[in-house]
Amino acid sequence: MPKKGTISSVQMAAMLYFAIMATAILGPPALMYTFAQQDMWISPIWASFIGAFTLLLVFRLSREYPGQTYVQICITVCGPVLGRVIAGVYVLFYLHVNSIILREFVELVVSKFLYNTPEMVIVAGMMLLCAFAVRGGIEVLGRISQIVLPVILSLLFLLLFFVIPEMNLTFMLPVFEDGLLPSLKGAIPPATWFSEFFLLTFLLPFVRDGKAGKWSAISLGAVMLSMVIVNIFVISLFGPVSGSFGYPVMTFIEYISISNFLEHLEAFVMMIWVVGAFVKISVFFYGVVLGTAQTFKLKDYRPIVLPLAGLHIVFNYWSIKNASMLVYYLQKLDPFYLVTFQTLLPLVMLIVVKARKNWRKQG
Amino acid sequence: MSGTELSVELAHNVTALQERLGESFDIVFHPFPIGGRTSAVLIYIKGLTDLNAVQLHVLKPLLLFEDSGPESVRARLSKIPVAEAEALARMEDCTEQVLTGNPVLLVDGCGEAWSFGLAKGEKRGIEEPVAESVIRGSREGFTESLEVNSSLLRRKIKNPRLHMHQLQLGEQTRTPVVLVYMQGKADELLIREAQTRLQRIQLDSVLESSYIEELIADHRYSPFPQLLSTERADVTASYLLEGRVAIMTEGTPFVLIAPITLVSLLQAPDDYYQGYMLGTFIRIIRYLFFALSIFLPAVYVALLSFHQEMIPTILLLKIATLREEIPFPVIVEALMMELMFEALREAGLRLPKQIGSAVSIVGALVIGQAAVQAGLVSAPMVIIVALTGVASFMIPRYPLSISTRLIRIPLIVLAGTIGLLGVIYGLLAVLIHLCGLQSFGTPYLAPLSPASGKQLQDTVLRAPWWVRNRKSR
Repeated sequence: MPKKGTISSVQMAAMLYFAIMATAILGPPALMYTFAQQDMWISPIWASFIGAFTLLLVFRLSREYPGQTYVQICITVCGPVLGRVIAGVYVLFYLHVNSIILREFVELVVSKFLYNTPEMVIVAGMMLLCAFAVRGGIEVLGRISQIVLPVILSLLFLLLFFVIPEMNLTFMLPVFEDGLLPSLKGAIPPATWFSEFFLLTFLLPFVRDGKAGKWSAISLGAVMLSMVIVNIFVISLFGPVSGSFGYPVMTFIEYISISNFLEHLEAFVMMIWVVGAFVKISVFFYGVVLGTAQTFKLKDYRPIVLPLAGLHIVFNYWSIKNASMLVYYLQKLDPFYLVTFQTLLPLVMLIVVKARKNWRKQG
Repeated sequence: MSGTELSVELAHNVTALQERLGESFDIVFHPFPIGGRTSAVLIYIKGLTDLNAVQLHVLKPLLLFEDSGPESVRARLSKIPVAEAEALARMEDCTEQVLTGNPVLLVDGCGEAWSFGLAKGEKRGIEEPVAESVIRGSREGFTESLEVNSSLLRRKIKNPRLHMHQLQLGEQTRTPVVLVYMQGKADELLIREAQTRLQRIQLDSVLESSYIEELIADHRYSPFPQLLSTERADVTASYLLEGRVAIMTEGTPFVLIAPITLVSLLQAPDDYYQGYMLGTFIRIIRYLFFALSIFLPAVYVALLSFHQEMIPTILLLKIATLREEIPFPVIVEALMMELMFEALREAGLRLPKQIGSAVSIVGALVIGQAAVQAGLVSAPMVIIVALTGVASFMIPRYPLSISTRLIRIPLIVLAGTIGLLGVIYGLLAVLIHLCGLQSFGTPYLAPLSPASGKQLQDTVLRAPWWVRNRKSR
């Protein structure tokens, strides 16, 4: 088994928050606008039900098999051969998803800040950092998230504070113009992000203070609230043109001007955001590494960290070729892909587990 | 433990000891007759032994003593009015006692030797610590003598639970090292861990506590100090009272304290000796400048090379005018100045005090002023480097300011190559490293992360005593 560590449930909540919000403030607001228009701020509330359901699944599964990650549960339930195949598919799934997150990160940095820097430098630097953190173990990841979260949140809200005078809340009217449907449709893109709460399965075995349930609910609530707030800002700042920006949050921060002195804060935002992306990629990466180690029953996961980091770099180039493909992927494929793997299949797994239990009881 | 037993014959013992101790001018073998009959030899080292006391309490009574056989000599010896008199049976003990400065008495016809605790080394007086000065608070600093240091601690903590365990380290130097802790306050596991780590040390010589520091640190590859070294008695006492352990080494005023956290390296005794409002204010300023001392030059380089748009226009124009004539890119300028600054600092440290001021004149006026006027270095860069220097001088613990210097230069290189992204990458790497660091099992970043609310009031802030101590409300 890989090195055992312990994280507090607060650290777990911080990791989950980062793992979801880091990219959720980039693309989703614009995607939600295309479906829900002025009702876009309601969509995250609907989508959060997916998150709650996913969390519930993880807790139910871990109650059946305490101290096991989903990968281990697969092997226990489906047997050493079929179980390993399913576990392997999950590892590949997270590798793929994480490499796409890496792609999103690189696309943003290259398109907004460092136009001429070779992508490889940015990608390799990020993966090296993540490898360094993951090698340090779950405790290091937990501590980083905990220490960075208050700093980042306060900086972000400080920035939002400066755009308040520009807001025009009438853009949010009329609410429910076409009934509930648009806002429900708008819940499809953020559902992707909420299904990422499934990552809890890789963290839960290390939380030993018994408050995981409470804190994961708090994390879920915080994510939902943050998305709602961001969406309110986006819609009331841009109104009808909200959908035309790739990264609306970045765009409105570009317009911040504090007493005509502090301007062009987007590089500053990038700094904040790199930290967020780093934690997000690290948490996913940790899932990949731990999953691989558990699939093949390795005693120590550290030797495979660097090779897997290299694999991420390769996948990052393979999976998505360019920015428009990324947008297409995020809009059309991602929700079904992620929700299937992180919510629907675990649901099937839970049903199988329960059914077998009943079967045994009767027979 | 085995060794060569002393023989009954005096002459045999003397030649054997002479062989062991070698021929040195300062080792004296002083033969004299006890009571005019039994021959005896007193061995001591000139300058390490209190000769007056030896003459008064050992030689005089023994010479005047009426000898009536070996038994009476033995009886007389046990009545010698010296506190630390000890009977020795082995050759090794004799040499050790002689070398620590205690006179050793060999008596003919006895299979034993006696040592008397009359060692007296030349000691420096208790002075104000040079590296850690305070405005208000105790002016006592540790000295090179272990006894003086332990007495300073005893005077501060009059508590029977203050325990001091001695052991000897260094094959050649046999340096006494003392582990100090408060029984009941310090965690048993911590004490045991410290003991085993100290016992594990195998060194030829221990001339400074840093020898020990490197060997008992948790992580070998880290630029950060993992033990706190201090020469202040009050600081040591306060850490002992918090349940940490201290390691005192003979021959150096620097006492090691473990476990420590990053935050404790940024605290100065003044924070506690002055009012809590000032203490909190100074602390926040110190954290700010600690951060600046790490990344200020890097951020400047990154902004000027990659993100000029972030600098307010008027300021940017000003800087651009000043940089117009400069033939070097910002990163070269920054590295040059940093190296220059390091050189000046080192030179100022090495020079005798009388010429020390010459370095600062040459450095500041001649090089700084001239370089700016000649248009080789821009004035803003000088300001940035000087500010960074001041910031690093604000760190109360010198070893930590060394680590900031070690981190700064790689960060400048990263900033000059990939801009702010590089700075963030570098800072994240440092953060990951810090999150993984432990000092004797305590996370280095505690209580920031893993967070502890109660301890936080004494990290960012300096909570008043009436908040920290509920009893005194």
